[in-house]
Amino acid sequence: MNNLFLETVLITLVAFIGYMHSYWGSTMNNRPIIIGPLTGLVLGNLEMGLMVGAALELAFLGAVPIGASNPPDMTSGTVIGTAFVIISGQDIGTAVALAIPVATLVGVIDNLLMMFVLTQAGHMCDAAAEKGDYRRIEWITRFAGIGNKVVLALVVGIGYYLGIPIIEQLLTVIPDFILRGMDVAAGLLPAVGFAMLARMILTKELSPYLLAGFVLAAYFNAPVLGVTLCGLVVAGVVFFNDSKKNSTKEVSIDDNEF
Amino acid sequence: MTTNSKNERALTKKDLRQVFTRSCTLDSAWNYERQQHINFCYMMIPVLKRLYKDDSAAMSRALKRHLEFMACTPHIVTLLAGVCASMEEENAANSDFDESTISAVKVSLMGPMAAVGDSFFWGTLLTIAIGVGVSFSSSGNIMGPILFLLIINVPAFLVRFYGLRIGLNNGMKFFADASNSDTIARITKVASILGLMVVGAMVATTVSFSITYEVGVEGAMTPIQTYIDQIMPCLLPAVAFFVMYYLLGKKIKTTTILIFLIVFSCVGCYLGIF
Repeated sequence: MNNLFLETVLITLVAFIGYMHSYWGSTMNNRPIIIGPLTGLVLGNLEMGLMVGAALELAFLGAVPIGASNPPDMTSGTVIGTAFVIISGQDIGTAVALAIPVATLVGVIDNLLMMFVLTQAGHMCDAAAEKGDYRRIEWITRFAGIGNKVVLALVVGIGYYLGIPIIEQLLTVIPDFILRGMDVAAGLLPAVGFAMLARMILTKELSPYLLAGFVLAAYFNAPVLGVTLCGLVVAGVVFFNDSKKNSTKEVSIDDNEF
Repeated sequence: MTTNSKNERALTKKDLRQVFTRSCTLDSAWNYERQQHINFCYMMIPVLKRLYKDDSAAMSRALKRHLEFMACTPHIVTLLAGVCASMEEENAANSDFDESTISAVKVSLMGPMAAVGDSFFWGTLLTIAIGVGVSFSSSGNIMGPILFLLIINVPAFLVRFYGLRIGLNNGMKFFADASNSDTIARITKVASILGLMVVGAMVATTVSFSITYEVGVEGAMTPIQTYIDQIMPCLLPAVAFFVMYYLLGKKIKTTTILIFLIVFSCVGCYLGIF
C-alpha cells in the first residue's frame, strides 16, 4: 500500500510536468511521446513506456490546440493508459482503448476550468488594471497559470489511485472482440490525424510531395528521418529556385526528386 | 512609423529578458473569453513598468489595452511583443502618439501571425518531430523523446529569441518588408513541402490495417491481405488515409469519425474479417 502511495505521488508529478509545458515555453512535453516514457520510468518499465507513448502519440496525432479548439487531454490519457498496460501486462491496444475516454473526460474538466475559473481570473485582472496595480496582475497570472495545472495533475493522481483496480475488474467482463477491435482501431487512428494535417497544408500544387513521401517509405522502406532529410533537399531546391525568379516554371522542380 | 534608434532606448536588457521569459507562459492561463490575454499582459508588464511607473493613469490604460483579446502562436509571440514594446516606447516619449494605434496594430498582426505560426509549429514541425520520434520510440529507443523535444524546441526558442529583437528594432517595417518580398509565403510553401513528404512517409510506416480473412479451397487458404500486398505495398493504409481526408472535407466531426472507426473495427473483429 505504501508503494502505491509513492507511485501516486510520482505519477501526479509526471502529469504536473506535462501540464506545465504551457508555462515554460509550449515545449510540447505534454504529448504522449514524452509522458509515456516518464510514466514508464516511474513504474520501472521505461521500454514499455516508450512503446506505449509512441502508439498513443499516433492516436492523438490530430490533437493540436489551433485557434479556439481544445483537443482532448492527452496527458491524463497517456498516464492512465501507460500505467495500466505496464501494471496489467495487457497489449498496447488497451492503452488506446483507455486513453481516449480518460482524455475526453479530463478534457471536460479542463474546459470547465477555462470557461469559468480562468475567465474569472481575467476579470480580476481587469479590476486590477483599472487601478493600475500591475503587481496584482502578476500574482493573479502566476497563481492562475500554475494553479490550473495543479488541479489537473491532482485529478490524474486521484484517478490513478482509485481507478486502476476498477479498470482491471472492468476489463475481465469486456468481450475479447472489443479489445481486439481497439487494437485494430489503434492502427487506423493515425490516418485521421494525418488527414487532418493534410487538410491544413495540402494544395493541388503540393500534392506530388505527399505522394513522393509515401513512395519513398512504402517501396524503398526509407525510415522517416531519411524521408525528412530528402524533404529538406527538395525544400531547399524549391526555396532557392523560387527566390531566383518568381516567373520560373515549377514543373521542372518536380522532376528533380524522382 | 518612426522607430527609436538603439542608443536612445528606454528599455533595458533586463526588461527584455523578462519579456522573453514571461512569453513562455503565454498559453498557461488560456480561457474562452479572451484566450491568452492574461499572459500577454503579464509578458508586457516589464515594459510598462519601465515606461509608466510614475504615471498611474497611463499605466492603467496600458494594462487595459494589453488585457484585450489575444490569440497568437505562443512560439512566435515575442515578435508581436517586440512591435508592441517599440510602440509603447514611442507612446511614452511622444505625447502626440495615438494610443489606439497600439491596439489596432496588435489586432491586425495577430491574425496573420497565428495563421503562419500555427500551421508551422502545430502543423509541419510537430509532424516531423512525431515522425522521427515515433520511429525511434516504437522500438523502445530512448532517442525518440529526446529527438522529439529537440526538433520542436531548437527552432522554437531561436524564433522566440530573435523574434523579440526583430519586432523591437524593426517594428512594423518587418511586416511591410516581409509581405513585399513574399518571404513568409515562400517559407510557408517549403515548410508545407517538407511536412507533406513526412505525412506521406508516415501514412506508409505508421498506419496499420490488414484484412486477415482467408479465402480459397479447404486446406489451401490464403489471407486476402496476401493478394492486396501483391497489388501495392501499404495499399490499405493509403486507402484509409484518403477515406479520412474525404470525410474531413465533408465537414464531418472528428469525434464522429473516431466513434465510427472504433465501431467499424470491433464489428470487423467480431465477424473475423480483421
